Amino acid sequence: MFFNPAILALVGVNALVSGLLLLAAGFALQVLRYWDLASGSERQLRLERRTYLISTILGLLLVAESLSLWLFVHTAESLHSQFVGAMCATGVLNQNPWGWPTLFLKLGVFAAGALWLVLNWLDQQGYDYPLVRVKYAWLLPILPLVLVEGWSQLEFFLALDPEVITSCCGALFSSQSQGLAAEVAGLEPRTSLVALVVSGGLVMVLAGVVARRGRGALWLAAVAAVALILALIALVSSLAVYIYEHPQHHCPFCLLKSQYHFIGYALYLPLLVGAVAALAAGLVSLWRQIPSLEAAVASAIRRFARLAWLGFGLFYGLAILIIVRSHLSLLE
Amino acid sequence: MIQLIEITKVYNQGRPNELWALRGIDLSLEANRIAVIQGPSGSGKTSLLSIIGCLSRPTSGRVLLHGKLLSGLPERFLTQVRRHTFGFIFQQFHLIRGIRLVENLMLPAYPLGPDYAGLKAKARGLLERFGLAGKEDSPVEWLSGGERQRAAICRALINDPEILIADEPTANLDSRLTAEFMGLVADLKAEGKTLILSSHDPRVAQHQAVDRVIRMGDGLLVED
Repeated sequence: MFFNPAILALVGVNALVSGLLLLAAGFALQVLRYWDLASGSERQLRLERRTYLISTILGLLLVAESLSLWLFVHTAESLHSQFVGAMCATGVLNQNPWGWPTLFLKLGVFAAGALWLVLNWLDQQGYDYPLVRVKYAWLLPILPLVLVEGWSQLEFFLALDPEVITSCCGALFSSQSQGLAAEVAGLEPRTSLVALVVSGGLVMVLAGVVARRGRGALWLAAVAAVALILALIALVSSLAVYIYEHPQHHCPFCLLKSQYHFIGYALYLPLLVGAVAALAAGLVSLWRQIPSLEAAVASAIRRFARLAWLGFGLFYGLAILIIVRSHLSLLE
Repeated sequence: MIQLIEITKVYNQGRPNELWALRGIDLSLEANRIAVIQGPSGSGKTSLLSIIGCLSRPTSGRVLLHGKLLSGLPERFLTQVRRHTFGFIFQQFHLIRGIRLVENLMLPAYPLGPDYAGLKAKARGLLERFGLAGKEDSPVEWLSGGERQRAAICRALINDPEILIADEPTANLDSRLTAEFMGLVADLKAEGKTLILSSHDPRVAQHQAVDRVIRMGDGLLVED
């Protein structure tokens, strides 16, 4: 099982990212301790030269690490046929205690890595390395996150055992079960859909306003974070039911199957891109006071707000299409 | 205008063939002047010019332009400054063989994305001004030594730089062409340009238009 190409790719990417992040962390400590743009010392000039190399490599690696979230989900989904009781990725993630923590850690690395990439990009827009300390300080908590994620992922893949019977989405995402997933699945569709419409309307209007006026980016980030959570709740509680056309089927992973035309990817990808873009707009707005970044921040806020509008818009548009075209009716 | 603070340049640092080209240079260069850097081969003239012109970075020390830090700029900003502020005339001219003279002139302007017709008119204007009218469609290998040198000056001026840097510009020229070159340099100074030349040639250093002669030896300034 371990010698599955996708598993080897996931473990390999994590090993590579972890190794280079360890090296980069040493460099980050040097930057935090010695960076002084006013100095012309040999050490300062060496730090200036190396920051190009290290930030370029880190940028590529964090993109790969972020993409590995999608490969992990796809791999978990594709492995389900090898386990008794597994119908989708949920069953595979339930196979041993490492599955879900690995998924959540990967989501954390995705968000942290995406925000580091935004910081790195913004830093490179200023002529005086305005965020060099911030971006290398932000790298330090990413390192343990990636290391723990890699360890958890390795444990998960090594502990996968075809002899162990697993429970799947029917048990986990059922209103009769216990836990957060069951509670979300048991939520009234009307409640979750109203929350989806209200949060969706708010985030779309705010993204439009920020894209046009360049103000209110922090509000957009906060509303987008809430909208993301409500969208995920609505996905489990009601949208999934419309897609499967089965009132008791709430699984957020079966959406990734070919029999549902891989619609999960079309829902999750724009939703996550939209949310990250909105958070990025809020993040970059924190540095609008730095003179060398003033113009770059103003244009970046508008650009990220447009991307957030597009991402959320695609998600909500598809959600409306799903409800309209479904043969199931949940609301009278 | 340009200020160099404790500039050192070391090649192959930490290796057996380590070479200290510059050893702590402090220098200020004024605007609208002609400065000539003199010194024997290996004295650090070319290293100094390449650092002033942002073609390379020092090992330590800082370069300031109009009081603003230049040598510490991130690469993309440094490239912008280099394109807009400096024009280069190399010893071997480095004209590109196989393409027409006018295209050679226009090449340094392409990354700035100017209007093509306007750029071509500007290149033609420069060729006319420097006595190369009628040669614009000639491949550069057809040009004489003097014509190549004037073509190199035209190319250095295509982005209308504030500062012209010339490394041994008269090394391959006879007395007549050297005098002609120095005449053109004096004209450029009269237009407000700043010129920094490196040269072994006493005819360059002794020219009446030259404001300042800086002598180098073993990576140090020995006389100013």
